[in-house]
Amino acid sequence: MLLIGERINGMFRDIREAIMKRDPEPIKKHAILQTQGGARYLDINTGPAVPPEEQPEVMAWLVQVAQEVSPLPCCLDSTNPEAIEAGLKVHRGKAIINSTTADPWKMEIYFPMAVKYGAALIGLTMNEKGVPKDANDRLALAMELVAQADAYGLPMEDLFIDPLVLPVNVAQDHGPEVLETIRQVKLLASPPPRTVIGLSNISQGCPNRPLINRTFLAMAMACGLDAAIADVEDEELVNVAATANLILNREVYCDSYLKTFRRL
Amino acid sequence: MALTGLEIYKLLPRTNCKECGQPTCLAFAMQLAAGKVSLEKCPHVSEQAKEALGAASRPPIALVKIGAGERVLEIGNETVLFRHEKRFEHPAGIAIKVADNLSAAELASRVETINRLCFDRVGRTHCVDLVAVENVSGDPAVFAAAVKAVKEKTELGMILISEEPEAVAAALAAVAAQRPLIYAATAANYEKMVALAKQHDVPLAVKGENLAELAQLVEKVVAAGAKELVLDTGARKMNQVLADQTQLRRQALKRFRPFGYPSIVFATDPDPVRRVTEAAVSLAKYAGIVVLDTVDPAEILPLITLRLNIYTDPQKPIAVEPKIYEIGAVTPQSPVFVTTNFSLTYFCVAGDVEASRVPAYILTVDTDGTSVLTAWAAGKFTPEKIAAALNESGIGDRVGHRKVIIPGGVAVLSGKLQELSGWEVLVGPRESAGIPAFLKQFWT
Repeated sequence: MLLIGERINGMFRDIREAIMKRDPEPIKKHAILQTQGGARYLDINTGPAVPPEEQPEVMAWLVQVAQEVSPLPCCLDSTNPEAIEAGLKVHRGKAIINSTTADPWKMEIYFPMAVKYGAALIGLTMNEKGVPKDANDRLALAMELVAQADAYGLPMEDLFIDPLVLPVNVAQDHGPEVLETIRQVKLLASPPPRTVIGLSNISQGCPNRPLINRTFLAMAMACGLDAAIADVEDEELVNVAATANLILNREVYCDSYLKTFRRL
Repeated sequence: MALTGLEIYKLLPRTNCKECGQPTCLAFAMQLAAGKVSLEKCPHVSEQAKEALGAASRPPIALVKIGAGERVLEIGNETVLFRHEKRFEHPAGIAIKVADNLSAAELASRVETINRLCFDRVGRTHCVDLVAVENVSGDPAVFAAAVKAVKEKTELGMILISEEPEAVAAALAAVAAQRPLIYAATAANYEKMVALAKQHDVPLAVKGENLAELAQLVEKVVAAGAKELVLDTGARKMNQVLADQTQLRRQALKRFRPFGYPSIVFATDPDPVRRVTEAAVSLAKYAGIVVLDTVDPAEILPLITLRLNIYTDPQKPIAVEPKIYEIGAVTPQSPVFVTTNFSLTYFCVAGDVEASRVPAYILTVDTDGTSVLTAWAAGKFTPEKIAAALNESGIGDRVGHRKVIIPGGVAVLSGKLQELSGWEVLVGPRESAGIPAFLKQFWT
């Protein structure tokens, strides 16, 4: 189970202010906390407050600051291809590009970029028409992404299909469809693509967010989820990931399994 | 193993003509992968695509049967690289070579010896499976006579080792009904060999110089109509054998069709220790048949045992026979331990009893191979069952006392057991490691 730490994101006030002032300390703090917390990747997102022309420079700065204090690779999170490429250029190790949709014009940009930099790529099961409702429509878009990965020569295990989690309070009927999509994606190719979700979306605007997050994480893992962008500073959530990993027989049992899961 | 959406998509014409009722070929591939439509819906699909889709529904490694009647050997149908993933299905066949240039008496005595290569393991008999008659003489008539003589002396399946189609044809005339394995089709002779295999409906070994050549040759042999195949990669050095066997299995499981058959390996080292080691590696690593040129029981016994171990089902608990075991030089005064017939439990107890240097009896109760506490929780290690075992095993006739020691973990059984059996029940230690100290203290 690959946990991608979500915290270095301009949506959070402390990160937004750090970016404004170019103060590396809050970035470093969260890079270290998430590394110790059990993250295997650090999501890096400039946030919408940074104007598009500055995004490439900010992305590169964030990546360098984070990798100064953490050995982890980054998940470069932006809708701006220039920002992603700027991040890839300064990145150390194998990055993940977050993300492309199933729109042909986007796939034409991001698949070659992933291959060129040896990065993995997250593919969202949506296009300009929006987020599909049922699992079958999500799978049809996942299939488009899989076919493109094959055409561009991106190894299937470097493609992460994201079936798009929506908040349970306003899009309750999407939850089971997402779980079903995670289950079925493995049938699309052999070796199969991997799966990832933006976990915190499930609890957007709800009370007891951590409870909703970790319940859904366990359910999604049972359906075969490989990775999640999540709050790894939530110790209970990471404990659930470690425990689910164990029950799914992905790790050999030992009494100190909570500790070994966090060990790099 | 069904085909994935991507694999199906690559077989489709990609016209996006919508004649199948789906908006795109990609959507049609998805529906096919999910089993919701049939391939017939597509009017433009090629013959090759139909064949590939048909092949996907077959098991990754074909089942091959050699021999006939009671002693038929079945190999193949394997599905994993590691036995802990599921299990290894069909134990590899062990074949012993016989040269066709032996005198009639030598040949008869060698086959007799091969017939006797049977061993008792955990209460069952395990034997070698095949006699491999080799055309050393180069003379078809001599070969046919030898094969016929072997057939008269044994029930075992046979391998006919000759690359001369003439010799194989002569031998088959006498033994085709026994369904021997022909060894082998090569690049030079495969047309004639395939014709013989088809004519007599017998399995055929295919021998390549290396993996690449083997794959090409298998495709030709299959195109010529042979179905039941056994593969020889041509490797004879151990490191190459190991590498090749791994590739055969790995690629077959990835559904590379030419390698979707069981394999045959020859352990050829002249030194017996090295020879047995070679055979042991092949048994552990995917060989379907291992051929040896030896009739020494001391070489065969370890291989029979290893084969039995490797091919046991890891999901099933391994049981020992439920009976009385004697540890050391027992006397009528020796203590009697009761435990379950889970092999792990029994061997722990036996080892610790041995370490105590006190000769003793161990009575294993049949708990379907489950451990003491598991059996107790499942109602398989009850006072009734233990009492029955004490009475029916005949342990009472072997000892002069009436004391039985039960595991400390099931101390709660002691009262009821004493009542039912009439034996005095001593509660032993919880762990068998405590047995030596227990005996010092309580058994004089």
